[in-house]
Amino acid sequence: MRLHEHEAASLFRQAGVPVTPFAVARTPDEAVAALVKVELPVVIKAQVLVGSRGKHGGIVLANSETEVREKAAALLGKTVRGFAVDSVMVAKAVSIARELYVGVTVDAVAGAITVILGTAGGIDVETVAKERPEALFRKTVVPPAELRGHEARALAREAGFQGDLMVKIADVLVALYRVFRKSDALIAEVNPLVVTPDETLWAVDAVLEVDDSALFRHPEMPKDTLARIEHPIERAAKGIGVSYVDLDGDIAIISSGAGLGMATMDVVGQRLRPANFLETGGGITEELMYKTTALVLRKPALRGLLINLYGGINPIHEGAKGIVRVLKEQNVKFPVVAKALGNRQEETWATLREAGVIIVTDITTEAAVEALCAALGAGPTS
Amino acid sequence: MSILLDKKTRVLVQGITGKIGQAQTKWMLAYGTNIVAGVTPGRGGAAVEGVPVFDGVADAVKATGAEASVFFVPARAVKDTVFETLEAGIRLVVVVTEHIPVHDTMEMRAEAKKVGATLLGPTTPGILTVGEAKMGIIPGNLFPKVGGRAGVISRSGTLAYEVGGILAKAGTAPSTVVGMGADPVVLTDLADILKFFAADPATDFVTIVGEVGGIQEELAAEYIARDFKKPVIAYIAGRNTPEGKRMGHAGAIVQRGMGSVASKVAALEKAGAHIAKTPAEIGTLAQRLAFKRQD
Repeated sequence: MRLHEHEAASLFRQAGVPVTPFAVARTPDEAVAALVKVELPVVIKAQVLVGSRGKHGGIVLANSETEVREKAAALLGKTVRGFAVDSVMVAKAVSIARELYVGVTVDAVAGAITVILGTAGGIDVETVAKERPEALFRKTVVPPAELRGHEARALAREAGFQGDLMVKIADVLVALYRVFRKSDALIAEVNPLVVTPDETLWAVDAVLEVDDSALFRHPEMPKDTLARIEHPIERAAKGIGVSYVDLDGDIAIISSGAGLGMATMDVVGQRLRPANFLETGGGITEELMYKTTALVLRKPALRGLLINLYGGINPIHEGAKGIVRVLKEQNVKFPVVAKALGNRQEETWATLREAGVIIVTDITTEAAVEALCAALGAGPTS
Repeated sequence: MSILLDKKTRVLVQGITGKIGQAQTKWMLAYGTNIVAGVTPGRGGAAVEGVPVFDGVADAVKATGAEASVFFVPARAVKDTVFETLEAGIRLVVVVTEHIPVHDTMEMRAEAKKVGATLLGPTTPGILTVGEAKMGIIPGNLFPKVGGRAGVISRSGTLAYEVGGILAKAGTAPSTVVGMGADPVVLTDLADILKFFAADPATDFVTIVGEVGGIQEELAAEYIARDFKKPVIAYIAGRNTPEGKRMGHAGAIVQRGMGSVASKVAALEKAGAHIAKTPAEIGTLAQRLAFKRQD
C-alpha cells in the first residue's frame, strides 16, 4: 500500500527525518488556517497517489495568505493525472542550494535491503540510474542487521561529502532505514532531500510503500487499503482476496495460479484477445469461485470465458459448484471452456458439464484455447 | 534418481493439524512420502492420519529423526517457525505459505545462507520426485508412476503442474519438480537449485519455468553460461503482460523496464538455453533433446 505524502511525512518525522513543517487541508479555509503552524512562503501539494505531481500542476508555490486561499481552492476539486484531489499538504518552502536523493528499498537481486544516496536529487531516480549511474551510491544491508551510523557515514563520504553535512546526511539515512524497517516498507524515499545555503537538510517529499502482507502487524497504518485501488473490479477482487487485471480484449480468463494465468494469456493472445486476468490463489471455495466468476463477467461485451484450474491445494470440485451457479443465474450464452485437472477432477468435470461448460481433459492450455476457438467458430486472428 | 527428496527422506509436516495441513498430509502419504512426524504448538500428543504430532520441532526431530520439513503454517508465524526448524538441525524446508512479509523473507534467507540450508518458497507448491515422494501441494496424479530424466524448476505453482504433465506426455518424464516460489525475494535462488541438478547423474536436462518480474532467470543465465553443462529448456510466462501491473504473484511485475520476458529470454538464449514460446513447445523441445541423446 502506497501512503499519501503527508502520512509518510508524519512517520518520517517520528523516525527523525528532518521533514519541513506542514499541515493537511481539505478546504481553502483549512489551508489558510495552516499558516498558523507553517510560515510563508509555502508550497501547496496535491495529495494524490501518483508520481510527477510537479510536472502535472499538482505542486504550487504561494507567497501570501490570499495566494494560499486561491491556489488551494484551485487545486482542491481538480484532478492530477486522473486522480481527484481531496486534500492538499501545505508545507514550508525552503531555499535550495542543492538537491540530493535518499532511498531505502528491497533489492531482489541481493535478497536484502539497499540504501541509496544520490548526489543528483529532484529528478526521477530511474532516470539518474540510466543516465548518470555514477551519481548513485549504494550500500547493501542484510536484515535483521541495522544500518549503523559509521556505515552511513562511509556511504556519505564515498559520495563526496565532508564535515557536518556528511554527518547530517548519514543521520538522515539511518533514520530512513529505521522507518523502512519499522513500517515493513517496500520502499522509503525522499526526493529531493534539500541542502539549504546554510547547509541545513530538509526532506521536502516523502514516499513510503508498505508491504500489504505485513499490514496485519501495523495497526498504525491507514485502514483504507481497498479505497486506494482505482479500478472498481480490481478493488472488488482485492476485497475477496484474489487478483484481477483489466485488459482490452473480449475473452475472460480465470486461473488458479499467477504463472498459469500468465501462460494462459500468452496462449490466448496468439489467437484471441484477453479481456481480463483473474487469479484465484490457493483459497478456492464454492463461494470464492461464485464471486470471482461473477467479477470477471462484469466486464462488458465478452465473447468467451476460459477457466484454467489445478486442484493441488484447491478443492476444484467445490469451486465448480460456484461457477455453475453464476452461469445459471446470469444465463450466460457465450462459450465457457474449462480445463480443470488434479485432485477430484472427475467430480469437477461432471458438475461443470451439467451447466453446459465445455470440458478439456488434455494437459495443455493450447487444447483449451483450441476448444474455445472452435466454439467461437474463430480461425486465427493474427 | 532425484534431487533433494526421495522416498526414504524422513519428512516433518508443520501446521499438520490445520485444515490444509491435514488434507495435504493425506495426499502426501498416499503418494508414498515418508512422513514421520507433525508439529503444531499446543497439539502435542495428537495424531493426524496416524502421524504423531509434537509441540516443537526439536522434540519431533529427537523422537523421529525428521530431516526435512514442509510448512502449512500461517504467514504471521512462518519466520519464527523457520528459525525454530533450522535450530533443530533441519536443512531442507519447503514454505508453501503465501503472503509472507518480505522483511521476514529477507531474514529467513540470510539465516538459511548462514547455516547452509535449502529453503524453498515462499509461495511454492513444493517439491515432487516422480514416483517417490512429495513435500507440498503438487498433485501426484498429473505425473506418471515412474520418474524420467527431466529436471523441472518453476517459479509458479500450477504452471509447474502443467509443464510436468507436458513433459510426461512427450515421453520425457520429470525426475524431480521443484517449485522455487513466486515472491519478489525467494529463499533459495534459481541458480542454486540448478546446482543440485548439475550434480544429479540421473537428470539429463532441466526445464526452467520462469515468469515476468525479478531477475532470478537473468542471474541463472549467468550461472548456466559459466558452469552448467546440461541442456536447458526455458519458458517465461507473461509475454502479454502490461507494464506496471502486478500479475497475481507479488513478484510478477514488469517495472522500470526490468524483469520483462524479453530480457529474460535474451539472457537465457545467450547462455545457450532452448526457448519455448508456449508451455506446449516445451514438449516438442524435450523430445528433440531426447532424440539427440539417442543418436
